[in-house]
Amino acid sequence: MRLAYVWDSRKCIACMACVVACASANYPELMREAKPNPQWNWLAGNIRVIVGENGGKPELRLISCQHCENAPCVSACPTRASYIDRRTGLVRIDHSKCIGCKACLVACPYGARWLNPATMLPEKCPGPFCSKLIENGLNPVCVEVCPAGARYFGDLDDPESPVNEELRKHRVERMLEHLGTNPKWFVITG
Amino acid sequence: MKTRRRDFIKLSAASTLAALTMLSVQPHSVVGRMLAKQLLLEETSKKPLEGLRFVKTFCGMCGALCGIRVGVDSSGRPRVVLPLNGHPQRGLCGRSATAPWLWDHPLRLKKPMVNEMRGEARFKEVDWDTALNGIASKLKEIVSKYGYKAIAITHHDAWSYYMPLFSYLFGTPNVISHVSMCHANGTVARGHILGAGGPPAVDPDYENASFLVLIGRTLSTASMGALHRARTNKGLQIVVVDPRMPEIGFGDVKWIPIIPGTDAAFALSIIYVLLEEELYNADFLKKYSNAPFLIKPDGKPLTEADVVEGGDPKKYLVFDAKDGKLKDHKVALDPDLWYVGEVTLKDGSKVTVKTALTLLKERASNYKPEVAESITGVKASEIRWVARKLALSNGVVDDTWYIARNWNDYDDVRSFLIINVLLGNIDKPGGLCFQESSKFPSVISVKTIEGKKVAETVYGARMPEELFGDVTKTRVDRAKYPLTLSTFDAVLDAILEEKPYPIKALFIIGTNPIGRDMNTRKIIEAYKKLDLLVVIDIMPTDDADYADYVLPDTIFLEREEITSTKWTLHASVQKQSKVVDPPKGVDARDALWIMFEIARRAFPERAKALGWDDKYADYEVYKDEFLHKLDEAILSSLAKAWNIDKEKLKTALEEEGYYVLSKKKYYVRPYKTALATPSGKAEIYSLAALAAGLDPLPDYKPPPAYTPPKAPDEFYLVNGKSPLTSFQASLMEPLRFVGDRSVWMNPKDAERLGIRDGDMVELEGIDTGWKARVRIRVTERVREGVLFAYATVCGRMSKLIPKDYFAREGVNPNWFAKGYVIPIVGGGASNSSVRVRKL
Ligand code: SF4
Ligand code: SF4
Ligand code: SF4
Repeated sequence: MRLAYVWDSRKCIACMACVVACASANYPELMREAKPNPQWNWLAGNIRVIVGENGGKPELRLISCQHCENAPCVSACPTRASYIDRRTGLVRIDHSKCIGCKACLVACPYGARWLNPATMLPEKCPGPFCSKLIENGLNPVCVEVCPAGARYFGDLDDPESPVNEELRKHRVERMLEHLGTNPKWFVITG
Repeated sequence: MKTRRRDFIKLSAASTLAALTMLSVQPHSVVGRMLAKQLLLEETSKKPLEGLRFVKTFCGMCGALCGIRVGVDSSGRPRVVLPLNGHPQRGLCGRSATAPWLWDHPLRLKKPMVNEMRGEARFKEVDWDTALNGIASKLKEIVSKYGYKAIAITHHDAWSYYMPLFSYLFGTPNVISHVSMCHANGTVARGHILGAGGPPAVDPDYENASFLVLIGRTLSTASMGALHRARTNKGLQIVVVDPRMPEIGFGDVKWIPIIPGTDAAFALSIIYVLLEEELYNADFLKKYSNAPFLIKPDGKPLTEADVVEGGDPKKYLVFDAKDGKLKDHKVALDPDLWYVGEVTLKDGSKVTVKTALTLLKERASNYKPEVAESITGVKASEIRWVARKLALSNGVVDDTWYIARNWNDYDDVRSFLIINVLLGNIDKPGGLCFQESSKFPSVISVKTIEGKKVAETVYGARMPEELFGDVTKTRVDRAKYPLTLSTFDAVLDAILEEKPYPIKALFIIGTNPIGRDMNTRKIIEAYKKLDLLVVIDIMPTDDADYADYVLPDTIFLEREEITSTKWTLHASVQKQSKVVDPPKGVDARDALWIMFEIARRAFPERAKALGWDDKYADYEVYKDEFLHKLDEAILSSLAKAWNIDKEKLKTALEEEGYYVLSKKKYYVRPYKTALATPSGKAEIYSLAALAAGLDPLPDYKPPPAYTPPKAPDEFYLVNGKSPLTSFQASLMEPLRFVGDRSVWMNPKDAERLGIRDGDMVELEGIDTGWKARVRIRVTERVREGVLFAYATVCGRMSKLIPKDYFAREGVNPNWFAKGYVIPIVGGGASNSSVRVRKL
């Protein structure tokens, strides 16, 4: 199984429901203590927002862990705390093995990891709550909340999964693909 | 939201990296193990999910009231908000997602407070009895001197259902809401053209539309139900006409940047193209609009009473092309849309009459696309494209929601609605449709029972006419603006000038006039002159600083309420279920209880007549008995109106959170049911406007609401909402990061003035002189010559908000707004012009 995320940039309305719900669902203790995500100077959640302006119509990108099949964070990790979960194809962190060396934070070309200010250990998508949802065969929070129907989640190995359905129909890009990371996070652009 | 240009280029496919990163993904051929289909969380919500208990309810973070599920953890804390799938107005947005932060927010109002020095926010916590008694005794004093009408109440969406009840409870007509700063101009226009009411009364059928034009309407900022229908409609093409690019513009939406305050010129130009190129729906216009009505030189319609002695003034005459005779519109077989000719009146005089459509075309001819281009800054070719596309794709122009911007907004909305009428795309799939009424009972209504006038509440209490007090007196705003729905500015005038009579006490319930209304200085001046100011709210507002008493209200997660579903074309009702109790240390009470308890102390006979028993002073008894009685009464009324089983309705509301009473039926109005306009038709030439002394046709007038910017350092300052802004959501912790408290400037303007992204500047209101410092965001999202700031998100001034709190940053656009109210219609205007000084 190779679980993947699809985000439809044509439909997203930048409402931030996914960004905010990701934080409240996955990191309630940080929310309670109003602790921010220090790396991104952002709320303690797994989705970052970037607006690009190159003279034309501004563009939006939402960024979280890309679940690379060739994951630099996994190669960089000295303790194998960062690993690719064979059952789901998702990149995971086993916090019990993590020594907090931050090698993965530096290695991730997407800046998808941040340091939990309470535990000083790395965090990324999927957070603890979403992980459990996914294990139960449910959609993660960001996919579930989206009012615009701009997010999909599913198995690339299943031709009938919602992600494959969307990927078949649209023009798609993957971020920083040229680095060879082989990410499983797709952006519909047309 | 952060703009990190470098990061973006690094990450995105935009331009330079496009070739490297763009990839057309083929279907994955690996036929691996089949994953059990992804379930919706919905299906598991019956059992606790990951230790969370989910409650189906509706959101109260803004006035849209979308369907949501709130997950509460084992400690009783709200943790996450999810949409309520299947709900006719499915949530949610960024605001709603911040609700878990609201419940035990450190700034939440916790106890009743007395202000020991007005304006300085020197608050002392007191118990409920002390506060309520203090308010009641002051009220009695005011009423004995100035009468009940000296009391005013202002509100927004919270508790709005109960406002008519409060009017009788306090004997005052002056319950005056926020709407002059919101949809008032549009609502008057909807009434005049289509005989419809507030914003959801008619709406595009987003689900089935194929081409949607949003002019000054964001869609992405509230009512996620409407947004969801629009964005999941795969065939829908959207055009946004706005000086700034709203959030929905990030998607596959065409954004047309327009010069502020010129929407009517744009729309009239579209009308011109539709008429000139014969792209209108002639059949619809002949039968269902007043386009063929003949208009006399005095502007009035020609009726039977004009030509025959004793004729009927309700019989509007048209020229029947079938037999070349003048006839009542109702019986004419082929009403001529373009007739111009002479008619002989009953006194023998002759006048030239023209059809309403001819007059509309004459008006619109002043705005041929090339002329409109010079006014609006939108290319003539683009105007033509939109007009043709509307006609050829069965398009629809949104009827707007928040529209209190430039003073001329009433004419904007009239022209948008007229475009839809010309297209004949009314109450058809994909067109501009009328909402089915849920037949929701009014909380109070005046009836004659056994020959006596009484005000009867939904739960059966009856107040005799002798106790009405000043309820039937003219409201202060209606005295000044006869068509207004609510104009708070007139309350300020009544406080300051005591005309038409003095207002001495003001209740502010769940709203923030300083954030919401224009001309901040005037508001503050008026507050200082009041004898009593009471704020009932959940979070500190700038207004609270000037209040004598500040009382903590419950939040939507702590209440139960049944209401109509607002933003759906179906007739639907929904239930707010209690998710949590107030957290420890928060002694909040429902505003409904608070108002009754003040009245019970000040005017016991009034409270009693409206069914308030002394035992309800006990808050628990109020919740168990009074609220129960109220809910049961509403359910009974709905069950009777729809002839359905009350228990079934109740169970559905409890289990599902909503109940669809009737699905949208198309082709009803104006086809089978007459519209609530004077003629019963869609009125492209408004007879109601004419009767009120207004121009019966829309026109473009340069907005007098602000001095137009002229010098190189002068700009329009426009404002708008975002999916993250409402006045309570703006204080939630995530907004520290995701809230945008900057003022936007176009890169060309920035370059000219030598301003860089992130620079601090000083803004000075050209008309108000108000000065404020703010950070500039240099972005293509705003048109040249225009600055943009979000409304209600920032610039908080209350001393109850810590000095370093993020919501203090930025500006409140109303600081710079002159305070101009549209005569007769009564809408306000929050846009302004400012001077920029680099710091
Ligand atoms: S996105 Fe970053 S953290 Fe995630 S798998 Fe790829 S390299 Fe690792
Ligand atoms: S899957 Fe969960 S953790 Fe990952 S981005 Fe979405 S909400 Fe956040
Ligand atoms: S919830 Fe959906 S629409 Fe909102 S920002 Fe996230 S992806 Fe975009």
